[in-house]
Amino acid sequence: MTPHDHHNVAHGGIHPPGAQAPFVFATAQYESGDWDSAPLVPANVIDSVARYTALPVRPQGVIVPLSSTAIMQYPLLYLTGHLPVRFTEREAETLRRYLARGGLLFVDDHNHDVDGAFNKTAREEIRRVAGPLVPLPNTHELYRCFFVFENGPPTTSHEMNGWGDNLVHEHLDAVLHEGRIRVLFSNKDYSSEWSFHPDNKRFLSVDNTKFGVNLVVYALTR
Amino acid sequence: MTTALANATRAALRDTQRALTQQRRGRVLLLTAAAMLGAVLLLRLLLALPLLARTLPRPGAGDGSSTVVMLAVAALSVLVAVAVLRARRAEWAEPPLSRVALWIEEQLEGTPTHALVTWTELAGDASASLAPNDLLNQAASGIVARAADAGTLPRALSRRRWTLWRGPLLFVAGATVVLFTGELWLRGAGARTIRTVTGFDGRTPPAPASPTGGLGRLRIRVEAPRYAGIPDSVFEDVSSLRALSGSRVVVEGEGLGPDATLAIVGTDSTRRAAPSELSAEPVTADGWRLRLVAQDVPLALTMRRGEASRLLIVEGVRDSLPRVSLEAPARDSVFREPRGVLALEARATDDWGVASASFELVVSSGEGERFTVRTVHIGVRQLAPTARRANWRGTLDLAALGLGPGDVVHLRAVARDAHPLATREYGTSETRAFRIARPAEYDSVAVEPAPPPAVDSSLLSQRMLLMLTERLDARQKRMARAEVLRESLRLARDQQKLRLAVGDVVFQRLSGESSAEHAHYAGDGHDHGVDQQGGKLAMSTNSSTGMLEEGNDSPIVAINKPLLEAYNAMWDAGRALEQGDPHAAIPAMRRALEAIERSRAATRLYLRGRPPQVIVDLAKVRLTGKDTGQTRPRSSRLAIPTVSAQRDARLVAVAAQLAQDTSAAGNGARMARDTVLLLRAEALADDPAFAAALGRLLDAMGAGGDVTNALVAARRVLGNVRRTELTPWSNGGPP
Repeated sequence: MTPHDHHNVAHGGIHPPGAQAPFVFATAQYESGDWDSAPLVPANVIDSVARYTALPVRPQGVIVPLSSTAIMQYPLLYLTGHLPVRFTEREAETLRRYLARGGLLFVDDHNHDVDGAFNKTAREEIRRVAGPLVPLPNTHELYRCFFVFENGPPTTSHEMNGWGDNLVHEHLDAVLHEGRIRVLFSNKDYSSEWSFHPDNKRFLSVDNTKFGVNLVVYALTR
Repeated sequence: MTTALANATRAALRDTQRALTQQRRGRVLLLTAAAMLGAVLLLRLLLALPLLARTLPRPGAGDGSSTVVMLAVAALSVLVAVAVLRARRAEWAEPPLSRVALWIEEQLEGTPTHALVTWTELAGDASASLAPNDLLNQAASGIVARAADAGTLPRALSRRRWTLWRGPLLFVAGATVVLFTGELWLRGAGARTIRTVTGFDGRTPPAPASPTGGLGRLRIRVEAPRYAGIPDSVFEDVSSLRALSGSRVVVEGEGLGPDATLAIVGTDSTRRAAPSELSAEPVTADGWRLRLVAQDVPLALTMRRGEASRLLIVEGVRDSLPRVSLEAPARDSVFREPRGVLALEARATDDWGVASASFELVVSSGEGERFTVRTVHIGVRQLAPTARRANWRGTLDLAALGLGPGDVVHLRAVARDAHPLATREYGTSETRAFRIARPAEYDSVAVEPAPPPAVDSSLLSQRMLLMLTERLDARQKRMARAEVLRESLRLARDQQKLRLAVGDVVFQRLSGESSAEHAHYAGDGHDHGVDQQGGKLAMSTNSSTGMLEEGNDSPIVAINKPLLEAYNAMWDAGRALEQGDPHAAIPAMRRALEAIERSRAATRLYLRGRPPQVIVDLAKVRLTGKDTGQTRPRSSRLAIPTVSAQRDARLVAVAAQLAQDTSAAGNGARMARDTVLLLRAEALADDPAFAAALGRLLDAMGAGGDVTNALVAARRVLGNVRRTELTPWSNGGPP
């Protein structure tokens, strides 16, 4: 199998030479915790990417074990959960290589609680694997690379309703490498906000998943 | 006259006796020396073995070790010498005169008359009743005269000396040569190891690695961090040295202080400014001193004064975190009630020492969106900071944690090394999770997977089949061949049934469906993630990436690989049994059993609801219908030169520089040496073989002369070119 063939297979099918391989939304499956707590988020982000962009996109996401080198084939990796996160040595090593090779890990705290188990342990694991998280300025190009979010990350109904830590988080955190985001960490609970069937978007006056498009575009172009 | 004859005979006998005694004593001394040399040679060979195996000096070895070795060698030699002398003490005594007389008579031509022996016994024994008469005196003196005539006796003495001494003498000579040349070779190997790569084990390189380059001789002192317990090391004029990360490196020289810059050497030929402070200070009116701190990455210290410049590579050796493994409990568990005591056991290893160890518990309670978490440390142990290995145990009382239904306990072992930094990371083991079951989860329809299927009671277990096969193998010599074949075929049938059952499990798990609705088997025309190759199964190339579709959370990779291995091993075992060869089947059956055990350990049940599968209808979302257009093909771009290609180009440039500037002290040669030094520092992390080849090249450059072979060897290592070693029988060939 040539590298080109491998690339095509990894994205869900064989494509003729020269054709663009579609973007595949990948959810990280890790050994500890509840990695599958937001099963509808991938479909919602895929729907938004298809709705607002001309990017070729695969209609169904994939679940990739974090310990598998298969994660190297996906530019964006989504990781969420409520429970404590403890990466195994293999998961940590694979993730370290993934980030060093230019992958983007999007971690969302499904508890939206800075005192929660997920936030504490996931931050600790991210620091161990990728380095310390720092506040991401709301002027970062992530908020302008497709849709423009003047005030930084969009708020979620969960934090506005006072659940979780009862805070409206002003910014996201990130691990940056030479200006580029390696790890994006959110306490805003997009996992709850975006976890609905995409057909129900028609009931929303403003689509709250547009920020997901920015995430995908940023991961694909930066 | 008679008295004169007797005296002459006696004197001749005494002389011969003295000569024979000297020969015997010489042989004893030679044997002693040979034994001592043999012992030294053996001990040196044993001590040299680790050097043959290692590539770099081990950390922590100091100068004191050589003194101990010398004392051990000396003590062993003395012991061996005493033992040999004691064993050979009979040979040390003088031979009796009668034996000397007999020996003299034996050296003469013709049959011995024993006249000299008789004369010696009569003349030498005062108590004898008979004295030698004249006739006997004359016969004895005649024999002595014949022996002395024409050099017969001296020739015989020389011949005997050679016969007695040649064995031990040859051994002593050979052992001396081997010891001397071996010592030279070992010193050379040691020098090759440390000349340019000076370890932090206190060794001083035997020769300058590079010319002074116009900055005078340098004196470099490495002060390791106190917690590591390594003594300070001092080097003279090395161009590269290894130091534990955090070590203070002090470079001292003479004359005016040079302009110095410090940079981190990246593996991709980049240089970044080193964050550590580089401080320069004058020591005396005619001296200077630079201080820097070794880091985890190679640092390049460039010193310039006028036209002269020097490069010093400081290879930082990272103090790695302790490696921790949790031995017990061995796997995750779900408890029906929060009761019971778990035995905990963990072990840790560290390169410098484990300082403390404990077990860390994260207890999370709650459900849905509400969780509380608390962290508990138990079994905390403080250890001697020099302990490279640590084992510790503890007990976990579940009742004491006050757990409720649905609570989860995450357990891991934690070990810290002696590094004093407050923000220092610590080593952790893998995490085990223990969950207290909720009373309602057993009757929930959302719980997957289903209870295990009813076991086919007609199947024999792999362990039972193995035991039966071993028993048959032990008995087959006493059995008729037909009987062996009949029993072996019966076992083969049972093995086949078990193999097919394992195959069913493999296909069920791959599909995630019940086999009742849709039977799966190899070769049924659609993809299961496995291919059938000659009766055996192999992971399909399309599925070997570990990628799963959403909604299918079976840990395929973890489960199926051991099961596939078991399936294939059972296939091998079945084939051997069908051929009536139970002995050949046993290894494959053991492999199958071991693979099944691994598969059992890898199975982890996710007691969660299966998430819904949503497949976005892209055409509907984009309001475009079916996409039948052609996308514009992307133009292929030029490949970025690989790191190896860049390094190769730089190595070729070095060769060109060396060819232009053949003088070892020339500017071109110095620049080439600095390039090789930097190349080596860059390659340390990702291509150690190339770095080692460059180290040999640096040695060759430092020694002067032709470096073509070292350059060619380094380029071959970089290009992964392997050539067959030339032997004396190769009859020439390319270099």
